[in-house]
Amino acid sequence: MCEIAEGVAASRIGVGSAIGHHGELMQGAFEGSDGHFYRALVTLPMRTLQSHATFELSKGHEIAVYPADRTKALRAAILVMERCAPSGFGGVLRVRSEIPVGHGYGSSSADVIAAIRAVSNALGIDLLPSTTSEIAVAAESASDAIAYEEEAVLFAHRQGRVIEHFGGSLPPFYLTSFKPSDAKPINTDEIGRARYTAEEIQMFRCAAGAVRRAVRNQDPRLLGFAASLSARISQRHLPKSDFESASAIAGQHDACGVQVSHSGSLIGIIVDAGEPGAAAKAAGIAASARNAGFIEAGVFAVNVEEVKGENRF
Amino acid sequence: MRIDSDFFRHMETPRLVHLSTTLVGAAFPMMKLMPARYILDQAEKSGEVKPGAHIIETTSGTFGMALALLAAARGYKLTLVSALSLMDEKYRQRLAMLGADVIALEDEKGDGNQVGRLEQINRLRLTSSGSYWTRQYDSDGNWLSYARLAEQLVVAMGKIDCLVGCVGTGGSLCGTGTFLRSLYPDLRIVAVDTHRSVLFGHPVGKRVLRGLGNSVLPKNVRHELVDEIHWMGAYPAFRNCHRLYRKYGVFAGPTSGASALVGRWISKTNPGMRIAVIMPDEGHRHAETVFNETWLSALPNWTEKIASAPTKVSTIAPLDEGDWTFFNWSRRTLADVMRSQKED
Repeated sequence: MCEIAEGVAASRIGVGSAIGHHGELMQGAFEGSDGHFYRALVTLPMRTLQSHATFELSKGHEIAVYPADRTKALRAAILVMERCAPSGFGGVLRVRSEIPVGHGYGSSSADVIAAIRAVSNALGIDLLPSTTSEIAVAAESASDAIAYEEEAVLFAHRQGRVIEHFGGSLPPFYLTSFKPSDAKPINTDEIGRARYTAEEIQMFRCAAGAVRRAVRNQDPRLLGFAASLSARISQRHLPKSDFESASAIAGQHDACGVQVSHSGSLIGIIVDAGEPGAAAKAAGIAASARNAGFIEAGVFAVNVEEVKGENRF
Repeated sequence: MRIDSDFFRHMETPRLVHLSTTLVGAAFPMMKLMPARYILDQAEKSGEVKPGAHIIETTSGTFGMALALLAAARGYKLTLVSALSLMDEKYRQRLAMLGADVIALEDEKGDGNQVGRLEQINRLRLTSSGSYWTRQYDSDGNWLSYARLAEQLVVAMGKIDCLVGCVGTGGSLCGTGTFLRSLYPDLRIVAVDTHRSVLFGHPVGKRVLRGLGNSVLPKNVRHELVDEIHWMGAYPAFRNCHRLYRKYGVFAGPTSGASALVGRWISKTNPGMRIAVIMPDEGHRHAETVFNETWLSALPNWTEKIASAPTKVSTIAPLDEGDWTFFNWSRRTLADVMRSQKED
C-alpha cells in the first residue's frame, strides 16, 4: 500500500512514461521457490517505442481518459487513486503512445504502466516496480515485466509477481525485428492459455537455467539459445508462418538465436553486441529477412552503450 | 512444499568435478533419487498414489534404495523384486532397515534374470490391488526427471557440445540428452554400455561390469538420440575408478569409472569440446571389490590386457572384460542398425 501523499494541491499534473517490448525472450511455466508452478515470462524490453501519459489531478470524483478507448489505462489510474489518493480527488488522464497496437509490442501494458506512473507522480509518490506491476495486472488480466525495464526478471504475469530475480540486467545485444507478411493484429485478451506438456515444462527449467547464466555472465549467445528454445515451444502453441525461414536466416548469419513475441506476430534475431561488426551483422540479417519476404525489418539495440545510425525502426 | 523435499532435493543433486578445463563430471551420491522422487511426486499429484499406497518395482540397484528412502519417509509400503546374484548382504540390511520388502529371485545365468523379475512384478500387481509400479524402465517420469540435471549443467557450463553417460534404463542419458539438445541442437550424445548387454545389439551374457547395460530392452532407451556407442569392459572401468580416486578424490563406482573414461578419451581426441559426463554412483558399495586389490587380482586376466583407448568397430560383437570398443551409431534405431549389420 502506498502512503497518502501529503499536501496534494488542488490541481497538479503528473507525468509518466513506459517502454514497449518486443514480446518475450522466454515464456512458459516455471517452478517457483515455493515448489508451485507459475506461468511466467522474461520480457524483451524495447526502449525505442514508448507510451507517455499525463495526469491532471483535480477536486471532484470523476476520472476521464483521452483517447477514450484507453480503458485499461483508465482502470489503472482509478486503482492508483483508490490506493493512494485522499478522497475527493479525480482528474484527467491523457495517453500518447508511439507503440503500434496488436503486434505484441505491449502497447496496452505500456499505456497502463505510463498511466500508473503519471497518477502516482501527480500524487507525489514513487512506486516500486513490484507495486506498479501488481496494479498493472489488476488493471489488465495479463501483463508483462516492463515496470522492471531492462532488469532481467522471471515474471509471473497472471499474479503480477517476480518469481526469480536473475540478479542483473540483460546482456547487450542487437535485435533484428521483423514480421511474417501475413501477420495480423492479435487481440491478446482473446488468446487461450497454452497447455504445456510435462516435457515442455521441463524444457523451460533448462531455458531458465540458461537465462540465469546468461545474465550472470552477460552472455548474449546463451540468452539466444534460451530464446530459441522458447520460440520453438511457442511454435507448437501459437505458430508463426515462416518461422523455419527465420531460423535459417539466424543460422546463416551465425546469430545467437531467434526470439518471438509469444502472443503476437513479431520475430527477432539476436546478435551479440560485443562481437566485431555486430551492428552491420544485424543490418545484414534485416536485409536477408526482407529478401525472404518478411516485412517491417529493422534493428534496435538492447543495453548497448552507443546507439548508432543503423538503429532505425 | 513437503518438508522432506529440500533434503532429498540436495541428496539427488550431483557435485560437479572438473576433470579438465572443458570436461565436467556430474558426480552423484545417489542419482536414482532424481527419477524416483519425480515419478512419486507426479503420481501423488495425479492421485495414482494415495497415502499408505503399496509401491512395487524391479531393481537390483540404487533405484530400489532411492524408492526405499522415499517410501519410508512418506509412509508407503514397498516391495522390490531383485536377483540373488545382485544383492549383497549389506545392501539387503539397509533396505530392511528402511522397511522395504525384498524378493530376490534365482539367477543361474548371471544375467540378472530380468525376465523372471518382470513376471514376479506382474504377479504382485494381480495380488496387491491398488499397488503402484514406478516402472523405471518405461515410465516417462524417469527421463523427464533429468531436466534438473540438464539445468544444473547449463548453469555451471553454459554451452555444452557433448554429453556422455551410461545406459541401463536409458533414463539419465536420454533424458538429460533430450533436454540439453532442446537447448543446444548440435549436442553430441555418447552412450556407454558394456559387453554382453542387449541394449545396443550384443547377444546377452554374463556381465562383470554392473549398474549399466541390461539383459532386456527398456522403452526408455531411445537409440535414435545416440551419436556414438561405447562398449566398456569391466577392467578399464575399474582402473579408472582408482584413477578418479587418486587424482580427484572422487570415490566413484564402476559405472562412473566407465563414463568418465569415455569422457576423458573424447576430450583428449577433441580439444576444446565442452563435455559433460554423468557419473551415477559412489564407490561405497564396491569398497570390497573394485577398490580391493585382493579381489581384483583374482579376476581372470586382470592386469594382462586392459585397454586404455577404444577400438573402433564396424561389427557389433562382445569382447573380453579388458576390451573397450566404439561404434558410430549415428542416431539410428536399433532395428536400422541391426539390419545394416546383417547386410554387411
